[in-house]
Amino acid sequence: MIGRILAMAWVEMLRLLRTPAAFTLILAVPAFQVVLFGYAIRPQSTEVRVAIAAPAPDAGVGAATRLRAEPSVRVMGGVLPPGGAAQAVREGGADIAVEIPEVRSFSNPFAPIRPVRLIVDATNPALTEAAVARLTAGYWQDAAQRGDLGAPSLVVERLNNPDARSDWPFLAGLIGVTVMISMVMLGCLSLAREREGGTWEALMTLPASRFELLAGKALPYVVIGTVQGLSVLGIGAALFALPLRGAILALCGLLPLFAGVHFLIGFAISARARTQIAALQGAVAFYLPAMLLSGFLYPFETLPLWAQRIGAVFPLTHFVAAARDVLIRGAGAPAVLAALWPMLAAASGIGALALWAGSRRID
Amino acid sequence: MSIEGAGTARIDVAGLGKSYGGQRAISGFDLRVTGGELIALVGANGGGKTTSLRMLAGLIAPDAGMGHVLGRDVRQPQRADRARTGFMTQRIGLYPELTVRDNLMFRARMHGLERAGARVDQAISGHGLARYAAVRAAHLSVGWARRVQFAATLLHAPPLLLLDEPTAGLDPVTREDIWERLAALADAGYSVIVSTHDLAEAERCARLVYFQDGEADGPMTPEVLRARGGAATLDAAVIALARQAASLKAGARKVEAR
Repeated sequence: MIGRILAMAWVEMLRLLRTPAAFTLILAVPAFQVVLFGYAIRPQSTEVRVAIAAPAPDAGVGAATRLRAEPSVRVMGGVLPPGGAAQAVREGGADIAVEIPEVRSFSNPFAPIRPVRLIVDATNPALTEAAVARLTAGYWQDAAQRGDLGAPSLVVERLNNPDARSDWPFLAGLIGVTVMISMVMLGCLSLAREREGGTWEALMTLPASRFELLAGKALPYVVIGTVQGLSVLGIGAALFALPLRGAILALCGLLPLFAGVHFLIGFAISARARTQIAALQGAVAFYLPAMLLSGFLYPFETLPLWAQRIGAVFPLTHFVAAARDVLIRGAGAPAVLAALWPMLAAASGIGALALWAGSRRID
Repeated sequence: MSIEGAGTARIDVAGLGKSYGGQRAISGFDLRVTGGELIALVGANGGGKTTSLRMLAGLIAPDAGMGHVLGRDVRQPQRADRARTGFMTQRIGLYPELTVRDNLMFRARMHGLERAGARVDQAISGHGLARYAAVRAAHLSVGWARRVQFAATLLHAPPLLLLDEPTAGLDPVTREDIWERLAALADAGYSVIVSTHDLAEAERCARLVYFQDGEADGPMTPEVLRARGGAATLDAAVIALARQAASLKAGARKVEAR
């Protein structure tokens, strides 16, 4: 019995070692991932942009000076008039606004007692919540050190995501991730399966152009990918109260293009792969970096600059940003347009690559 | 059933060759075929039969030789020529998830045939496939799958038929049926080129091309091939020729070693 087990193990080992795809899967892909992600996924504390507003410039100067001394805080410009800091956050010019109220003084002894307001863009709590906690702690620590028992209270107002729900940005990104993974996988299998099944040669004998074949193959998957994206969106809204606002129709209109681009990527990978296992390996090698460098799992802003540049190449990065902007921030069509151009560029580039890769004759 | 242009040369190629990564797959392939001919490509596995058929079908561009197939330059395969060629691949090229009828409809639509449904129904009844029309290709035996593939190859009535081992793995009755159909097609003016390992089948062809280790010899009549092998049957002749080639190679290796 032992002899047969060892004989089987020997054959299996030889088959693995003599299959380049399996060998790459075992060694090269993990090594690549460890190196890439080991260096890229080191979330760096990014600078949080803080705007300060006060009734009089001198009233905010002290706060600005103290905040400038805080690590990872960048104070935007000078002290703004009341309401100006909150406006800056609403317009995307700052992440956190500090609105300092008028305080009682000799010149204004009857000023109403109002709290200091921290207005936070909570679209992605992973980016701002740590800074909010630091600023809040710093404020009270400061007051305690000064012995200022009458310091105004501090209130935090979160815009876009009042409960700082971390599942919302995750769900918004998940729409893109789900569609990306299934489309790349299906794109990979669509051609490799034909080649292994023997239908590819028969297909090559037919008078269809490469474009006709590619478009015909892509069409059902574009529909499937779109339905899949809409399903994730619907489930997110129904079960997790993911808001449906902003240019939601424009975002849904982006889904077919997004699905199509990823089908083409899968097809291009598959056209160069000899077997289904090699094609699937190519799919994994594509979607893992795309997922990890897109800002889906780790805030994009916290990735090193070189990783951000690589991440910007992936259509997923632009889709995740657009989905979060639209669904959580309630952004309009320009947010979708910002994702449309890189996606169109990717579609034409990858479409040409897929046509070229698929042009390989049966020899 | 008759077909246009039966008297003109549909294939006229000389010295065709193809290499893969420096390894010569075929060389010296000459062939001139008019309408109404049934020609067999015979020889051992790896001899170059499939590569030659693929070059004629325009699926592979040769890297040596010249000539024309259906009036186009054999060195510059064109997509449009595929509409005038019927190529039956050695592997079963049917979608296993589709029924027989759906597979045939797909082929008919890809060829842009008018009244595709009627043409497919005609093919189904003409090839005795009615029992299996609604059966998925995955559930067909090899014999029935080959019949469907054969019907699909003929669906658009191409003047040139290139069939790569169409009877491989089939029972004698199905083989006989396919050869009778091939003979009838040749009689109707089609040009039919068939690769086969069954030399008894090849006897039915007026001419043969013999392939050995990537070199094509012919075309010639079966009588000439038998005479070259010094045997009474094609089987015995081909075995004798293969042994002669092997012993010549062994001799050449010994000389090189010295």
